[in-house]
Amino acid sequence: MATVQIDLPDKTRTRKRNLLDFADWSVDEVGALFDTADVMAQVLTRTIKKVPALQGFTVGTLFFEDSTRTRLSFERAARAQSADVISFAAGGSSLSKGESLKDTLRTIDQMQADLYVVRHPAAGVPHQLAQWTDASIVNAGDGRRAHPTQALLDAYTFRTRFQGFDGFEGKRLVIVGDVLHSRVARSNVELWRMLGGEVVLCGPAPLLPPEMAPGVRHSYRLADAVEGAHVVMALRLQRERMASGLLPSLAEYVARYQLTEAVLRTAQDGALVMHPGPINRDVEIASEVADGPRSVIEAQVASGVPIRMAVLYTLLVGKR
Amino acid sequence: MSGRTMRAPGAQRLAIVGARLVDGAGDHGVGDVLLEDGVIRAMGVGAGAGAATVVDAGGALLTPAFLDLHAHLREPGQEVKEDLASGLAAAAAGGFGTVVSMANTTPTVDEPGLVAELVGKAARLSGARLRPGAALSHGLRGETLTDFAALQAAGAVMITDDGIPVTNSRLMRSACEYAAELGLVIQTHSEDPSLRGDGVMHEGAVSQELGLPGNPDAAEAIMVFRDCEVARLTGARVHIAHVTCKRSMQVIEHFKALGAPITCEVTPHHLTLTDAALRGFDPLFKVAPPLRAEADVAYLREALRRGVVDSIGTDHAPHTRAEKERDLMSAPFGLPNIEVAFPLLYTRLVGAGELELPDLLRLLQDGPADVMGWPRPRLEVGAPADLVLLDLETERAVDPRRFRSKARFSPWADERLRGWPTLTVVDGAVAYRMEAEAG
Repeated sequence: MATVQIDLPDKTRTRKRNLLDFADWSVDEVGALFDTADVMAQVLTRTIKKVPALQGFTVGTLFFEDSTRTRLSFERAARAQSADVISFAAGGSSLSKGESLKDTLRTIDQMQADLYVVRHPAAGVPHQLAQWTDASIVNAGDGRRAHPTQALLDAYTFRTRFQGFDGFEGKRLVIVGDVLHSRVARSNVELWRMLGGEVVLCGPAPLLPPEMAPGVRHSYRLADAVEGAHVVMALRLQRERMASGLLPSLAEYVARYQLTEAVLRTAQDGALVMHPGPINRDVEIASEVADGPRSVIEAQVASGVPIRMAVLYTLLVGKR
Repeated sequence: MSGRTMRAPGAQRLAIVGARLVDGAGDHGVGDVLLEDGVIRAMGVGAGAGAATVVDAGGALLTPAFLDLHAHLREPGQEVKEDLASGLAAAAAGGFGTVVSMANTTPTVDEPGLVAELVGKAARLSGARLRPGAALSHGLRGETLTDFAALQAAGAVMITDDGIPVTNSRLMRSACEYAAELGLVIQTHSEDPSLRGDGVMHEGAVSQELGLPGNPDAAEAIMVFRDCEVARLTGARVHIAHVTCKRSMQVIEHFKALGAPITCEVTPHHLTLTDAALRGFDPLFKVAPPLRAEADVAYLREALRRGVVDSIGTDHAPHTRAEKERDLMSAPFGLPNIEVAFPLLYTRLVGAGELELPDLLRLLQDGPADVMGWPRPRLEVGAPADLVLLDLETERAVDPRRFRSKARFSPWADERLRGWPTLTVVDGAVAYRMEAEAG
């Protein structure tokens, strides 16, 4: 079993404790995460897709909101490094809404996990929990606020899949759709700008408030927004936006904001199309685009595991 | 320090000597007051001679105890958060001699029997006087009017569904017409619930940054406008509670200029905190209406200076610590502040040169009295012996562990403030006396 060893760059040994958002992360630290993810991706191509890097550590997944995909991705990332995993499916069960978060955490902390992966429908919960535990906290999505590992895997996908990638400087990311309710959008804006890229937000006015992301260009016309883009990311449109009167009909949304081959013609050559999933096929994105040559939607999902491996490794290895 | 001791036979006379005597009529210089049978018996240099108990004020400021037209004392039914004993003691510790309690309890204070019960219970307690508010609608459901006349006869002084906006404009009109005839004040919690939505903080750049659902200033201003129009239409005395933003204040200024019978209140927290406080994701700062932007706070302060604001009400809203350790969506709205209200505003506004002391006192004394149509509190022979002694010099840190309120936490914990009440007298008896300092 000599092949299970991995060789990681020294600079991954940051003393970061949490990944709540990118507020206290530097460009170099994110770059080191990407380098670590490269090594992890290589591990995942081996016959035996497992290394002992995090043996003896326990990762707790603490999901107050259902999300099978993200939880599985984190659990896979932990197990591939030989960490133990305990899962608290807190959504609507014994950890009822309204219980003091601090009390909930006190109970769970008796399991002595070294790191919690937290998802919660309310913004700020990972920040609150981080004040009350010595364990590391990774934000796996809090309300509309942040989903930093999604933004990392999106940027990592761009880094690995954009032809002739030469850095993020000057690269334009266009995010289309329900920006208001999207933690994916907020985290991507934060990370992409930090890395030196440019962001354009596009969507119907009720879903794109003027106060969103000061300094970022807003556009209400898809054709204008997409011009010159290096990446175009469509966001999932919830049907309840129409039911609650935020938007007119689905047909009107499709007519104005659906990503189609025709509208993508003005994007850069080699521009990538992304979607954080799960997609509403032929709503925010036409099938011809989702299944077309620009689409890296499946690569995004695949990037999730090595990125999350890198995040877990980086936060935990410093505890040795 | 108990009021009962002071009422014991042969010991009724309490003198406060060597105090700087100030009330809404002016500064009366340094002198003594002699209190007996719940009233000021004598005033002036040497008036304190012969009292059973003498308090040497050492030149501190003696002034009528404050009036708070807006506090959540949580009784009946929510005694885990606060009860009459703790709430009225906390009020006295904050220098308040009179408190109007809000009706959003369990059950709602919407029946005369409940009002009478509160009044009877409070009479047996030391602390501030209780003047209960009663609900406008049964169960605060905004559907049917409560029996205003019977509630008033039982002791209710104000009609309000505070905590829940009255969305039905027809109901608000009827309530105003009926209250006007009875001489009752209607206090409104003015927010449009549909526009507020699930907002947990002020809508703006900070809410977008934090990804928290926002509640725009327009949700408040729209309802303030509605309530002002109903006041104009009916002639009722409408008191707009907790005005938080420039737009609402401008609407009120407009209606005041027309002569509409409108008065308004601002709270200590809306004068001293902004939406930026939510950046730490602490639900302690979740209040309704929300903490606003800096420009709004600046406008409220300017409105204080210009005399547009009639009263400062605390909107003291205690909750348990555990309730405030929930997530931001499910934690309840409100924060405790009645014990720090005066030192906070004295230090931040008067101390910073933004407001004159007489203006701050007016907003806590004559202002609320005028809103309610009560006599202005005065330091004069025969006036009620509801007084507070204020130490304007000594700086002390806010220590929530020493609160009388059951909510022993504070946005201003550890902040060093001046202007602390050292003695509060209600009905001639000591309701609060600051403990000797530990060192």
